[in-house]
Amino acid sequence: MRLYPFDLVEPDTLAAALDALARLDGEARLVAGGTALVPMIRLGLVKPDRVISLHRLPEFAEVRRDGGTLQLGAMARLADIYTAPAVREGWPLLAEAARRVATPAIRVSGTIGGNLCYAEAASDPAPALLCLEAQVRVAGAAGGRTVPVVDFFRGFYETALAPGEIVTAIRVPATPAGARSGYVKFTSRSAEDRPLVGVAALVVRDSSGRWDDVRIGLGGVAPTPIRAPRAEAVLRGEVPGDATLRAAAEAAAREAEPLSDLMGSADYRREMIRVWVRRLLTSLRDGARSA
Amino acid sequence: MKLELTLNGRPCVTEAPGHWTVLDLLRDGLNLMGTKYGCGEGVCGTCTVLADGRPIRACLVLAAHVRGRALVTVEGLERDGRLDPLQTAFAERGAAQCGFCTPGMLLAAQALLAQNPAPTVDDVREALAGNLCRCTGYTKIVDAVLAAAPGAR
Repeated sequence: MRLYPFDLVEPDTLAAALDALARLDGEARLVAGGTALVPMIRLGLVKPDRVISLHRLPEFAEVRRDGGTLQLGAMARLADIYTAPAVREGWPLLAEAARRVATPAIRVSGTIGGNLCYAEAASDPAPALLCLEAQVRVAGAAGGRTVPVVDFFRGFYETALAPGEIVTAIRVPATPAGARSGYVKFTSRSAEDRPLVGVAALVVRDSSGRWDDVRIGLGGVAPTPIRAPRAEAVLRGEVPGDATLRAAAEAAAREAEPLSDLMGSADYRREMIRVWVRRLLTSLRDGARSA
Repeated sequence: MKLELTLNGRPCVTEAPGHWTVLDLLRDGLNLMGTKYGCGEGVCGTCTVLADGRPIRACLVLAAHVRGRALVTVEGLERDGRLDPLQTAFAERGAAQCGFCTPGMLLAAQALLAQNPAPTVDDVREALAGNLCRCTGYTKIVDAVLAAAPGAR
């Protein structure tokens, strides 16, 4: 029940954190809120010699509007994101998705950077950030770089981070003017579970009602959170009727690569993609949801 | 490592190894046994305590991460020897059966009532969604929280 012992390092500068991560003596892990890493240590899935906490780094916890961009420190807590008036007003899709993660106590501790770095396929915020085309800021010994969130997820629990790199912030571009967006989450066991299928979507219509910008993000349906480009292509330029929405949902189900696990089989996931993509798109078309 | 925090309204200066969680600190470092160890993965909620008024899972949060913060455990709910209205409501309505989930239920409910003095049934159910009662006594737990809500009296 105790955690396998490790040395806790609490740097108060980014440079010190990078140094601690670069040291070659033993295995090091970064900890943000601890909601993912601590159970992994307790279950023996990882046995770090050194755990580097990011909680003392200045600006890592910020949730700030910077012109038209939303600047989220990697340590911004999920609860602080969806309660921030700037996020609710300007990025309602992100607020809606962050609000659906697990339970109140997990959202108080869990961070947006930690959520992305854990690279859980069934992330709630990731499909929203995919639709919003967020950028992940990364620091390393050689300097900083920016990775589009769509390129950040590389495989099952794998990210684009190189050894020694730290996610410092997430930048979210402005939600397109007039966009309608929403996030729906289907859970097969209990409401606070991770999604069996999570669907985020954002659409912008032109003056004649044609969908000229369509973005669909999916969680829990592939080894990583994904965009659904074929489903988007079905809808782009259309004034979608029910048949078109069904065709888009079918395309999403086909381009997904669902896995089977204790929550549900791959076939069941595909069927739930058909259902939930169609339902969300229908509600966006009919104006039941708006940004 | 040295830790200074506020515990149940009083200053607390203590020591803990870096790999200890808040739950290790409370139970093994400070001998406060009200906070329970359940699943160890943040799922069951029985180790819920308040940090600066918000619920956290004591089994998931490193002790170092509550340095300088104000913690409240079930031991800190009563005032001057009198039970908190939530505790009274739980006792009067039979909302504690085996009692193992009760400390976490009380603190999750306390966090809810502090920000929402007149919650609906749905508000209560959502606030307690991460607190499992294996006696499945949820109906009486929700009733007790509603009865203790300041806005309901």
